Amino acid sequence: MTELKETEVPKQKSGSVADVKYAFHLLKENPLVIFGFIISVGSMLVAVFAGFIVDPNTWKHVDLSMRLCWNNPTFNWGIVNVFNCAGPVYALGTDSYGRGVLEMIILGIPLDLQIALEVVASAVFVGVVFGGVAAYAGGVLEEIILRITDIFLAIPGILLAIVLLVILGRSFNILTLAVAITWWPTYLRLMRSQVLSEKEKPYVESLRAMGAGPSRILFRHVIPNSIYPIFVQATLDIGGVILTVSALTFLGFTPSPLIPELGNLANDGIRYLFTAPWLILFSGLTILIISLGFNLLGDGIRDVFDPRLRR
Amino acid sequence: MRLYEYAIRRLVLMVFVLFMLSLVIFYLTRGLLPPTSALASYITPRMNDTAKLTLAQSLGVATSSCPSFNDFTREMPECIVPLWEQYFLWLKNVLSGNWGYTLLPGITGTETTWDVFFSRFPYTAELAIAGAALTILIAIPFGIVSATHNNKFPDHVSRVISLGGYSVPQFWFGALAQILFVLYIRVNGLGFLPANGALATNCGICISNPGQVFALTGAPVLDGILSGNLAYFWDALVALALPSVTLAITSIGALTRIVRSSMMEVLRQDYILLARSKGLKDRVVIYRHALRNALLPAITISGLLTALLLGGAIVIEIVFSLPGVGNASLVAANVLDINYLELYVLVTALIIVATNLVVDLLYAKMDPRIRY
Repeated sequence: MTELKETEVPKQKSGSVADVKYAFHLLKENPLVIFGFIISVGSMLVAVFAGFIVDPNTWKHVDLSMRLCWNNPTFNWGIVNVFNCAGPVYALGTDSYGRGVLEMIILGIPLDLQIALEVVASAVFVGVVFGGVAAYAGGVLEEIILRITDIFLAIPGILLAIVLLVILGRSFNILTLAVAITWWPTYLRLMRSQVLSEKEKPYVESLRAMGAGPSRILFRHVIPNSIYPIFVQATLDIGGVILTVSALTFLGFTPSPLIPELGNLANDGIRYLFTAPWLILFSGLTILIISLGFNLLGDGIRDVFDPRLRR
Repeated sequence: MRLYEYAIRRLVLMVFVLFMLSLVIFYLTRGLLPPTSALASYITPRMNDTAKLTLAQSLGVATSSCPSFNDFTREMPECIVPLWEQYFLWLKNVLSGNWGYTLLPGITGTETTWDVFFSRFPYTAELAIAGAALTILIAIPFGIVSATHNNKFPDHVSRVISLGGYSVPQFWFGALAQILFVLYIRVNGLGFLPANGALATNCGICISNPGQVFALTGAPVLDGILSGNLAYFWDALVALALPSVTLAITSIGALTRIVRSSMMEVLRQDYILLARSKGLKDRVVIYRHALRNALLPAITISGLLTALLLGGAIVIEIVFSLPGVGNASLVAANVLDINYLELYVLVTALIIVATNLVVDLLYAKMDPRIRY
């Protein structure tokens, strides 16, 4: 009797090459997806090259004589007591520490994107591993894991994150941890439902018949075959995570109000809402554009890869 | 399994989730923070160390054999009551409605957490209910139009609005609304809306002297109706306009998407084709036949929407300076008022879990295909 090697088992693919090509064709046809792609890639490029565009130490130069001024002649805010300042033109005005808002936004983009990517990556990792194990093992283990996720789904993520930040301390690492802790149950549920349907397929049975262990089947075969909806969801969630993170820093959960971070700048701006509206206007607009970009991209990808929505 | 068996099972699960959450929140606030933080809201400036030690012992945080308050602050092992014993004492107190004092109003040791929380709660409840009403009123028609005019102009508009609502930072939207309505419209002498506060003052379209009402419920709009003071009601409603719209935008985005996709799915089914081939009008097919089935999946996310609205209320109350529970929670977070945070988290969780329970039971009742 010849011995079958495990690699000889044909892997089930979610789509053939032609299918993927067709999907890319559909993606290219959709103007909103292209728009989202441009924004998200553009913001990532800005994030990577932020240190080259702007001197990364500008945020430390606090000059209170230049605070809250607007000397860009192209727009007049119509505010009576707007401060004027001599010297170089600040394209988007200055903040309450006398730093240029445009520079602060450019320096803030990499920080927000980094936190968002870290949050999504760690939430996806935890969700995929535990969701996969829960669905594949079943029984008591599944019940325990699901009941733990119920606890996290019972309170608004932002509230849990606030409690964690209050107790563990205000730093960006803890902020990342706090938001990731509120985010993983989504992926766990998604992964569980994927694995539940995937594990009934005949190839899993043939793997088992050949003596492959459960962890090998799960992590080498079942999870790689059922992971693509997770990636779609992750793209969709980057925007949401950026919003949550900036809302938390906006509420003051930040190591220092001086750090150029988009929510931090908005926090500065809400105090001077009627004397320096540009501050919150442009920092919030940046958050909106980045978040919208990732949402458009994720939405388009989901529509194309979800066979029920494709016609 | 019958429906009532399912209901009992779900009820047990709900109690279990709340119990586990109380363990988590207790561990976070009492286990990770130094034990003195449990005393903070009781200590008055005139207390000496002996009084503080007696206080700690009466609260069940310090043991009766603890020699001095100094040893307690240094967390000597013979001074600290084991955490699980503290938990059960706390649970007993909490279940009998005793949540301790709060640090919030500024005078320690006088105001109970329960009173302070529930005097502020009606504002948040009113805001969240207004947000939920707006969400339902706007998102469902948008979702339907988007599905029935798939890939045409109304669909694009509704998708952009839903995605935009999903992507816009709420604090930014709220600030922008304030700038627009207060800074510019007011300068031009138009009927502007109030920038902040729960009752409109300093506003263009509200009544200058609405008078007083009895604080029956604590929620201004409801109090205005109940006391028959329509001027007061109008002012409260005007003051609620900007905050509730700002609160609703995210959930509008979420719900529009769900309604759109489930409506599209239903419209592709055979029974819709049958209804059309019978010669029924489009309106009848959509609203009579398709809508009922399409709204079922939308109902399942109401727990998520409640969480979105209650969580978003924190930001909205800060931006619009509303005197609700979320606004106070930020103060509580800054002064480490653990009693208040515990009550806030557990009441919010109770609301969300109870919403989920009711919705799931309704769902099971309405959809006979559901196997539970």
